Amino acid sequence: MNEATSGTFAVLGLYSDAQKIVDAANKIRPRKLGRLEAYTPYPVHGLDRAIGLAPSRLGALVLGMGMLGTTLALLFEWWTSAVDYPLVTGGKPLFSWQAFVPVMFEVTVLFATFTAGLAMLFVFNKLPFFGHPVLHAKAIKDITRDKLALSIENAGPAFDSEVARQALIDNGAESVEIVPVPVWNPAFTLVGLLQTIGAIVAACVVAGVGIYAVQKVLPIVPPMLHMHNQPKLNAFRSSTFFPDGRGMRPAVSGTVARGHLPPAFATPEEAGDMLGNPLPLTQQTAERGRKVFSDHCAVCHGAVGDGMALLSRAYGAKPGNLLSNEVREHSDGFIYGVIVLGKNAMPSYAPDLDDSDRWAAVHYVRVLQRAQNAKDEDLR
Amino acid sequence: MKPATAPLPEALRPFELIEGVVTPASLDHQVLQFPDRRPPRAWYVALAVTLSALAVGVFCMGYTLYFGIGAWGNNRPVAWGFGIINFVFWVGIGHAGTLISAILFLFRARWRNAIARFAEAMTIFAVMCAAIFPVLHTGRPWFGYWLFPYPNERAIWVNFRSPLVWDVFAVSTYFSVSLVFWYLGLVPDFASMRDRTSEGLRKRIYTVLSLGWRGATSHWLHYDKAYLLLAGLATGLVISVHSVVSFDFAVSLVPGWHMTIFPPYFVAGAIFAGFAMVVIVLTVVRKTMNLSNLITDNHLDVMNRLILAMSCIMGYAYFMEGGTAWYSANPYIQHTFKNYVSGFYGWAGITTVTCNIIIPQIFWFRRMRRSIPAMIFVALAVTLGMWMERFVIIVISLHQDYLPSSWHLYIPTKIDFGILLGSFGLFFTLVLLFARVMPVIATSEMKASLPGAQASHGGASHE
Repeated sequence: MNEATSGTFAVLGLYSDAQKIVDAANKIRPRKLGRLEAYTPYPVHGLDRAIGLAPSRLGALVLGMGMLGTTLALLFEWWTSAVDYPLVTGGKPLFSWQAFVPVMFEVTVLFATFTAGLAMLFVFNKLPFFGHPVLHAKAIKDITRDKLALSIENAGPAFDSEVARQALIDNGAESVEIVPVPVWNPAFTLVGLLQTIGAIVAACVVAGVGIYAVQKVLPIVPPMLHMHNQPKLNAFRSSTFFPDGRGMRPAVSGTVARGHLPPAFATPEEAGDMLGNPLPLTQQTAERGRKVFSDHCAVCHGAVGDGMALLSRAYGAKPGNLLSNEVREHSDGFIYGVIVLGKNAMPSYAPDLDDSDRWAAVHYVRVLQRAQNAKDEDLR
Repeated sequence: MKPATAPLPEALRPFELIEGVVTPASLDHQVLQFPDRRPPRAWYVALAVTLSALAVGVFCMGYTLYFGIGAWGNNRPVAWGFGIINFVFWVGIGHAGTLISAILFLFRARWRNAIARFAEAMTIFAVMCAAIFPVLHTGRPWFGYWLFPYPNERAIWVNFRSPLVWDVFAVSTYFSVSLVFWYLGLVPDFASMRDRTSEGLRKRIYTVLSLGWRGATSHWLHYDKAYLLLAGLATGLVISVHSVVSFDFAVSLVPGWHMTIFPPYFVAGAIFAGFAMVVIVLTVVRKTMNLSNLITDNHLDVMNRLILAMSCIMGYAYFMEGGTAWYSANPYIQHTFKNYVSGFYGWAGITTVTCNIIIPQIFWFRRMRRSIPAMIFVALAVTLGMWMERFVIIVISLHQDYLPSSWHLYIPTKIDFGILLGSFGLFFTLVLLFARVMPVIATSEMKASLPGAQASHGGASHE
């Protein structure tokens, strides 16, 4: 390889006739003057074989990716519909694969087409590539319009641009162009890299702020308030529609809510004489009682029922000590009566707790009393 | 053995794809010149009209967002009004593009080359128009992404047994695949645009869009393969998309919807409507852009034959619906079918049958197939008829179903019509812009099929 040819990328011979370029390629190929390539404005059938290209293997990749799409779609549909969020629809089994077929098909096509299109451009053809020498040749204007170019490309020391030029002329090229190797420009400079990263970060920030604004702000700033201002009456609003001026309707007199039967006793003592705990003491009722106690009672009576709670410390009030002997000697019915009627400063808890909750709370009071005065055999 | 005495019937003979002499260079000069020139005044007038229609639509969409879906006419029992009618209508329009670019490619129907690019562009624009309606119909379009399965704080997933979810997958796949297909075809043409444009912003844009395409044979090898694969995949896709759209109806139990004929019937109807739209646009385009030598009367003729064929399939489907209603012995289905052609909305069914079945029959006559006014008349009739067909299917079936106490009439509001007008405005605005800035004909495909473009004995090795 002499000095003149080392700077040569390729020699292009231009043709107008498809048959001539195919014949020329067939003649030149056995001479191994360099890597053979052709540049044409449209695919010329047979030219790929004439310059010695093997058939494309894109099909196998597309098949594989398509099948991957099918599998992933099926697995995803199974996992979401039968495992992570099991939802019975129309009495069908959770893994009703027949209903999953349409989406499997669409995902298959999606994977396969994107593979075919993008892998072809970006992987097989290594595009985008704006620095290819042929793009900067004079002939490129003709190549993308109407000329067919056969190119003998510099592929090592055997290449001689003068021999290649002569071979193209001998095989009917209308004109010949020697394409030099372009002056190397580094694609990644520090400034370029920083600009790219900066642009990506800026785009992310803008997109993030934009999405946040659209999601969270747009629906609640004027004039988009119609979802909030609706022509309906909210609870406790007044209304001129009803004579009493209230929007909410009071219950019809004599209405009894479920679990809130009015008590048949007037004092806790009466309750203690009349009633016994209808709930069996089980793990379940005790747990329920614990929940009721901690939600409603512990704020005054304390977490263990000793009457020492936040409120008593803050306000100096003296809630009853449920662990005292006095309370321990009361019957279940008496404690139930206190919950329903209230005692001293304690109001009635009847509106907040239904019947079974009250009795469960009584059970839990007994549990606390026993736990705080545990005997030896309780610990065994 | 050539049967010289008995030539093929006229309809079966291959026809001339171009008029006059067309060389690759003249093709480039004719097709790729539009971005270099100022558009004619008529283009600006047309753009003003379409933008006005779009503005009306945007106003009506804003009104809908402000006042909520109550601005539309749909209510119980017709919960699916214009929103779904227009969605199905526009998705259907898109199908002609994919049929032309994929199915006719596989059948080696070379006449498709001249019209494929425009039809593919129309597919993409039509699907964009279609997407407006279901997204607006959700009431809160800014949560449109909830349609897709993604891990969320609500810890729930979409219901993969619902045809509406299949629809989301089908239409979004359809849009993205059409886009890839379209772009792939455009890459070599962008390269031609790049090389015929001198320095400037346009050149830079075309350079980036062409990805540095240089027409290397090693690239064409993979490109051809990818195009073939895409065509094969898109063929299955185009049939699946409108089938899935029809599942939205057919999988339910509403009388008039629950029919097995729906998927093929919808696909045929979509291709039918799409071809009508392609004919409308191309008759105008080839006249105003002087492309009559490339999109010839022969092209329009063969498209009109396809419209006629699809019209006959539609006729069969309508007949079949009636047959199903009669044979089912189901009074609800029979009642619905009677409603199609009589009663309050009976005029809609009559219009549908007239426009879709009766009027296209004039295409049996060659003179009608080649007459521009006749084909525009038929294409407009088919467009109207196919829109009416969706109205018939959706509104008439829903407004009287099993429970007479809930029967109610559906009257669309001005806002409904405004958004429909706006979608037409959007579609034609995009068509007009496309026609000025992009290669309107797939030049690399056309060049490959011009006379003398290929080696005479296939280039096979013949040593």
